[in-house]
Formats: sequence, structure tokens, C-alpha cells
Amino acid sequence: MSTDKRRIGIVPFGEVPEIALKVIAAHISACLHLPSQILPSLENPEYALDRGRYQYDAGIILETLESMSFKDCEKVVGVLNLDLFIPIFTHTFGEAKIGGQFALVSLFRLAKNPDGSSPPSSLVYERAVKVALHELGHLFELLHCEDKRCLMHFSGSIEELDETPLYLCRYCSIYLQDELLR
Amino acid sequence: MDKKMSIMIVDDEEIVRKSLFHWFKKYGHVVEIASSGFEALEKLVKYPFQLLFVDIKMPEMDGIELLEKVKTEYPDTLVVIITAYGSIESAVKAMRIGATDYLLKPFNPDQLSLVMERISVQKRLVSEYNYMKGRLEKITRFDNIIGQSSAMEAVFRIIPEVAQSDSSILLFGETGTGKELVAKAIHAESRRSHLPFIAINCGAIPESLLESELFGHQKGVFTGATRARKGFLEVVSGGTLFLDEVGEISSKMQIDLLRVLEERKITSIGSREPVEVDFRLISATRRDLKKEVAEGGFREDFFYRINVIMIEIPPLRKRKEDIPLLVEHFLKKYSQETTKKVDHITHDTIKLLKRYDWPGNVRELENAIERAVVLSKARTLRIEDFSFLRSSTVPISRPLSLRKMEKNHIQQILEECSWNVTQAAKILEINRVTLHKMIKRYNLKRPDNSS
Repeated sequence: MSTDKRRIGIVPFGEVPEIALKVIAAHISACLHLPSQILPSLENPEYALDRGRYQYDAGIILETLESMSFKDCEKVVGVLNLDLFIPIFTHTFGEAKIGGQFALVSLFRLAKNPDGSSPPSSLVYERAVKVALHELGHLFELLHCEDKRCLMHFSGSIEELDETPLYLCRYCSIYLQDELLR
Repeated sequence: MDKKMSIMIVDDEEIVRKSLFHWFKKYGHVVEIASSGFEALEKLVKYPFQLLFVDIKMPEMDGIELLEKVKTEYPDTLVVIITAYGSIESAVKAMRIGATDYLLKPFNPDQLSLVMERISVQKRLVSEYNYMKGRLEKITRFDNIIGQSSAMEAVFRIIPEVAQSDSSILLFGETGTGKELVAKAIHAESRRSHLPFIAINCGAIPESLLESELFGHQKGVFTGATRARKGFLEVVSGGTLFLDEVGEISSKMQIDLLRVLEERKITSIGSREPVEVDFRLISATRRDLKKEVAEGGFREDFFYRINVIMIEIPPLRKRKEDIPLLVEHFLKKYSQETTKKVDHITHDTIKLLKRYDWPGNVRELENAIERAVVLSKARTLRIEDFSFLRSSTVPISRPLSLRKMEKNHIQQILEECSWNVTQAAKILEINRVTLHKMIKRYNLKRPDNSS
């Protein structure tokens, strides 16, 4: 498969700092060795707002993305600065279906430390990159990994996300290679 | 044995079912959904799910009622109750009935992870206990491989040929066909015969134990590792390692074993020093691994590494001419073991045994002979001594009417007695006239080839 076919699109929703998009794009190239492209911005997904929770339903946004065409990109990562949720859960940092085409990353909860303080912007971008690469992993069929020293380990809190490394464990690296060679 | 679980989500709200379905899929679990308690019970009949997530508030049958039914009929199935704020009382009630845990919705993803971690630890401890118990109780049998059929002759011919090489061998055959016996025979014929033969049933060992069983561990690397222990890959030193049910091992373990086969070195858990290992690998499976490789369920690189030579062991139904020989062998064996003088079997009984398909293969035949010898009151085994086989010859895949059951049963007894009505009537404990009437009523026909 040509590398062009493996291109990853990054699409911002509403106002998202450009630097966050660039950092995500750079890490997709550096960590996954895949070309990436920042796509034109889409409007904030007001259609997915749950007025009872005042959060945005990640499933509805993904369904909307699935109805759109991104013909030059094999996978697309949507980046938002809104609070996302999956019904039944209180929140989510990102969402993607195993083997799907679209993933979401929310910066909303990444810009605050557990003690309420504000982290430096570099840390916020590092967290965003981890979520983006983790969700991309799901798009390439990777499952959650039990190894805490693996990017595919599930992080439900900011503390855990900060402990999660930016790289895959030996097994998940092999699974990803298998998938990319398919 | 994999850490993945079979999970069913029971909730009347589609959105909840969908959310949890995708969530568990990300961990590689087998996930099913049910929109009501009735649907859940129907699905449980078809597949014994290990874990149920049940919403407490559902129309018709609520979560508590479902929990009670599940705990009565499937006591090993774990149930986690999902409840809304304000219904804590019901959650407490659920815990008293036997729920494993409960979650208040909407819940933090971490809370679900914690519940799953607790369940996984509990499951691991149970399977480790069962494995250790089984290991202590295991009786090793060193029987010979019996057979004169052309199918077995082919296996006998290949054993000395492959024994001389060091190539990895994959034995393919249904359960109970004697794969371990063939592996032992290859080992006995090989230049490694004076060195250990170690058999590991990968399907029976919990994944958490398999790694330390194979690779060994250093002192203190995990709870319970009170001293360092060498793994089987090291202990086998120069001998033959037999991995039974190799299709059951996780893809992570396949990656690790592939590395060992390529580098001939292992590093025990908690150690940094690799140790050189030397062994001949024989694996066995009853699954079609080639098909699983094509479907992505088994690693292709590992498959080709363990499958340098493949030997297919035929199922008993394809070598029925061996049944008299096997029966004679087992009869002798169990007469000696039980010190009961049961050393004959009627010709008709042999014919009956040859008609049966033996889904459990030689092992099932051996168990049948053992049971018959133990229960027999005479010196000669007869058709009646194998009446327990009849019930298993008609697989009941769906509920049948009484009339249909009666018809099937009469047909089967007649076939077993080669349509000898007097004999069949005796077994059925009815008179011949009644049996003739039933044959007419059910329009039963003698097959053309019957004499």
C-alpha cells in the first residue's frame, strides 16, 4: 500500500490552537511513520450537544464524520476544545471504534491538572498527542493493553494519562506493524 | 488460556448497550447484548457468558429478578448491576443475592476499569487454583498407541522418520485422538529420548501462569514468588517440549515463543540475563489453525514456525476397524485395574460400538469401556451395558415433542439391533406386537442395506 493511501487527516472543530494540531501531526509522523495533513476546520458540533449534561456526545459526532467524505485520508482525527462524553460514562478524552476511520480528541479536560491548577501548554499538547495516538491505535485495530508502560493502556484520569508513555509496548508495536503491512 | 472474557450487556436502553459494547470491544472481550432479561436468559442457554452487566431497572423482568435466575441456573456467571443514583437500596439487595459489584450511572471510566480489574483478579485466582488442583490430581498414563487401520498405519510410518530430525511438529487431530501419545512416541524414537519429555496443556493453564511456567521467574517479582523458579523451557534442557492445545495461547505468548524459537534464548520474569535453551518442540491442536491464520485469529509467523511438519491424527469414526482392537486393549486394562473378571464382549456389542460415531474419540471409547466394566455384573459385556451411549447418539439441538422423541428412540433401538424386532422389543420392555404397531404408526422403514 502506498504511503499516500495511509495519510492521516487532522480536522479541527471550531477554535482549536493551531500549535496543538501541528504537534499532533508531527507525532503521527515521528511515532507512527505515517504522513499527516491538517484539514480545513469544521464548525463546532452543536448537533451533538446534550442539554441535560452540557457535554457533547462523541458517538453522534463520529456518526456525522462517517457521513462525510475525506477522500485523501485513510483515517481522520477530529480535534475539539469541547467536553465530550460517551453515554453511561461521565466523560471521555477521546473516542474511536476499533478498525474505524474516525477518531476524536478533546482538549477540554487536558488543560487542567487534577488539583485544579493549569499545566504548561507543552504538557497540554503532550496529553493531546497521547490521546490522539491512542485513538489512532484503535483505528488500526489495537486493543487496550494491560501494560501500564504502553500508549494503548487505558487512562481514565489525567494522572494516569501523564504516566502513560508516548510509545507502544513490544507487543502493540508488532500488532501495529502487522496491521500497517496488511 | 486468554484473559479475555465473554460478556453480555443487558439493558433496555440501546444507547447504554451500544456504549458498553464498544468499550468492551476495545479490550478484545467477546461481547453480546440483550435488551431484556428474557432475551438474556435465552442467550445464556446458547452460550455460557462469564460476566453479565445488568441494568436494575427494566420493564417486565427487572435486574434483580434476572440476577436471581442467573445465580440459580448459572452460579459461575458473574453479574455486575448497573443502577441510577437513588436506587442504592436495590443495589445493596443485589449484592446480597450474589451480584459481584455494582456501578452507579453515569460512571467514571476509571470505576469501570476498577470493577473489571477486580473481576479479572478473582477469575485469575479461581483458574490458577483449578489448574494447580488439576496438576496435583493428574494421573499420567503411558499407554501404547493402538491401531491397524490404514489411517493409523500412515501415522506409525511417519513417527520414526520425523523423530530423527529436530524440526518442529504440529499434530492435528480432534480431542481424544491420542495426540500426546504420538508426541511421546516421537520423543521416544528421537535422539533426545533419554532427556525429559515435558507436556503442557496450554488450554488448561491460565495465561497469567503460563508465562511463569514456561519462562520461570526470579524471587519476589510477583506476589507468591517466594523463591526463584526455572521455567519448563529451561527445565526441558535438551528434551522435547509438548505444547498441547497450542491454538489456545494468546497472541502475546505467540510473540514470546516465536522469539525463543528464533533466538534459542529465554529471559525469566524479573531477570535481565538471557539463558540459552535447547529443546525440540511438538505442538498439538484440534483447531484449524491455517484457517485461523487466514482470518487473523492466529499469528502467521508463529504458525509457520511450529508447523514445519504436520501430522494429522484421524478421528476414531474414520478408523472404525480399529475399534475391536482398542476394545480388547481397554477391556484387558480395566479388568486388571478393577480386578473384576470382565474379559469378553459380545459380537453384537462390538457392532453397536462400531455404529457409534465417538465424538470424544479414543478417550471416549476408553471411558465407555471403563464404565461398562465397573458396572457390569457379568463376565461378558453386552449391548445393555452401553445403554448410556444411546442417549448421546441423538443430539438434541432443539426441544422435541414426546411423539417425536418416541419415534426417534424406537428407530434408534431398531437400528442398533439390526432390525431384530424381538431383541429391540426386549430392550424397550414392550411386547413384539406393540412394537410392530409402533413401527406401523410411525411409518418406520428398515434401511435398504440392513440384513
